[in-house]
Amino acid sequence: MSGPNPKDVRAIAETAGVPVDTEVANRIANSIGPAFEGFAPISGTLPFDLEPATFLLAQTAKVSR
Amino acid sequence: MSGEAALMSLTAVAKAIAARQVSSREVTQSCLHRIAQWQPKLNAFMAVEAESALKAADEADAALAKGKSRGALHGVPLAHKDMYYDAGKVTTCGSLIRRDFVPATTATALQRLKDAGSVRLGSLQMVEFAYGPTGHNYHHGAVHNPWNTDHITGGSSSGSGSAVAARLTFAALGSDTGGSIRMPAHFCGVTGLKVTWGRISRAGAMPLSQSLDTVGPLARTVEDCALLLGLMAGADPEDPTASSAPVPNYTAATTASLKGLRIGVPTAFYVDDLDKDVAKVLDETIAVLKREGADIVKVELPDQRQLTAACQLVLATEAAAYHKRWLIERPQDYGPQVLMRLQNGLSIPGVLYLEAMRWRGPALSAHSAATSGVDAVLAPVAPVAAPTIAESDVGNSPNAEAVIQRLTRFTRPINYLGLPSLSIPTGFSAKGLPIGMQLIGRSFGEETLLTIGAAFQRITDFHEKMPPAA
Repeated sequence: MSGPNPKDVRAIAETAGVPVDTEVANRIANSIGPAFEGFAPISGTLPFDLEPATFLLAQTAKVSR
Repeated sequence: MSGEAALMSLTAVAKAIAARQVSSREVTQSCLHRIAQWQPKLNAFMAVEAESALKAADEADAALAKGKSRGALHGVPLAHKDMYYDAGKVTTCGSLIRRDFVPATTATALQRLKDAGSVRLGSLQMVEFAYGPTGHNYHHGAVHNPWNTDHITGGSSSGSGSAVAARLTFAALGSDTGGSIRMPAHFCGVTGLKVTWGRISRAGAMPLSQSLDTVGPLARTVEDCALLLGLMAGADPEDPTASSAPVPNYTAATTASLKGLRIGVPTAFYVDDLDKDVAKVLDETIAVLKREGADIVKVELPDQRQLTAACQLVLATEAAAYHKRWLIERPQDYGPQVLMRLQNGLSIPGVLYLEAMRWRGPALSAHSAATSGVDAVLAPVAPVAAPTIAESDVGNSPNAEAVIQRLTRFTRPINYLGLPSLSIPTGFSAKGLPIGMQLIGRSFGEETLLTIGAAFQRITDFHEKMPPAA
C-alpha cells in the first residue's frame, strides 16, 4: 500500500471540505506517504471481530514475569 | 535557611515550607528573581504573574502561621505548559488563534495541584497547539535550552523543560502525545514522566489527539515526579477515559531497591543509528544499573516501525479533526509547520485510521508478551542530543516531516501502545549537552519505573547538575 499521490490528496481534502492547492497537496503526499508504507503490512490483515476497545482489555491484562 | 531557595527540589522545598524553615514568599521571590534573570535568554515563560504569585504566597504563609496547610504542595510556586485551562486565566495553547482564550473551567490535573496548595507563578511557553517536537514557535519565538541557548529544548513542552532545567519553577506540567514530555526532559537534562494513557485525567487539557494525549510532570527528580503523579492520578467524572485503577503510593516506590529487577535492552530499532554520545551514555547507564543489582537482559521487540506509522496515522487524523473548523476559517493564523502537519491528516482515509485504532489492542498484547520476562525496557529517548535551533528550523519545507520523524522515532511507539515511560538524565554529550534515557514500563506500571529511576538518581548526580551560570 503506497501513500496517496498529490491528485488523491486534493480529492480527499476537497471531499473533507478543506481544499488544498497543488503545492500543499504535493507536500502532504510527501509527508504522509511513509506512514502509509509503514502501516502497509498491517492494513487489510486484521480479523473481522477485532474491536478498537480491545486496547482497553490489553491495558488491564495481567502480565507477569 | 541558607542558599537560594529556588535551587531546592520540589519535595525538599515543600517540606521546608511546611516546617516553616522558609516562607512561601521567600521561595516565590527566589523563583521570580531567577525568572527575571533568565527569561530574556530562554523565552521559557508565556506569562509571569509576579504580583498575584506573591499575594498567593503571602496567603499561604498566613494560613500556615495559623496551622492550616492545604496539602503536600502548600505554598510551592509552580508554572505549567500554557495548555492547562485555569478558569479566568488566558490560556494561549502557544497559538495566535487562542491568544485571548479565557477558559471557564480548570483542568482536573491543575486543580488537583492547586488543591494541594501550589501557587501559580505564570504560564510556560510551548509549541503551537503542542504539535511539534523541537520547541520552535512561529508566533512566540523559539524557547532556548539553558545548557546552550543556541540549541533547542525539544517540544512540545519546551517552556516546561527549559524552566525546570534553569530552576525557574520546581516542576511543570507537560503533555506527551508523541514524546512531548520525554523529549524536553532528555534535551534539557530533567526528569519527565509520560504516564499510562488514562492514568491522569485529560479534562481541561487542550486536546491534540484523544487516543494518545497524556498529562504528566517534568521535574528535577524522580521523587518529585512521584509526588506529583500521586496528587494527579485517578478517576475523574469530567473525563470518562481517566482510569479508576487504584492509585498506589508512588512516593513509597521511590525508596525500593533495584535488586532483583530485570531490565530489558532492545536488540534493534532503539539501538540503531545512534549518535556516538548517545550510544556511549546508553552503555554507561546499563553498567550503572547492573552494578546496582539490576539484571540486564536483551529483549526482542515487535517491529517498532509499524507502531510509529500507526501512531502517525492516529495523531494526524485526530489532530486534523480537532482543528478542522479553524483549518477552514483561519488557516492563515497557524504557523507554517503546524498548518502543514494539520493538513497531513486530511489525506488519511477513515478506514485506515480505524484500522490503526483496531490494531492497538493486538499490538499492545504482542509487546506485553515480548516483554513479559522483564520489569522495564531501557532505551534512548532520541538518537541525538539537542540539535541547534538553526539546524532544526525546518518550517514547512519538504524535509520537515522527515526531520520530525527522526527526532520522535523512539517516543511515538510508546504513545501508540499507551505505555508509561520515565525519562531520566543519564549523561552528557561531548559538547556538554544533556542526554536522557527512557524506562518503558507496563500499563499502569509507573511504580516500577519510579523505583528504577529513583535508585539510579541515588547513585548518580546527573539530575543535580545545573546549566552553566544557572
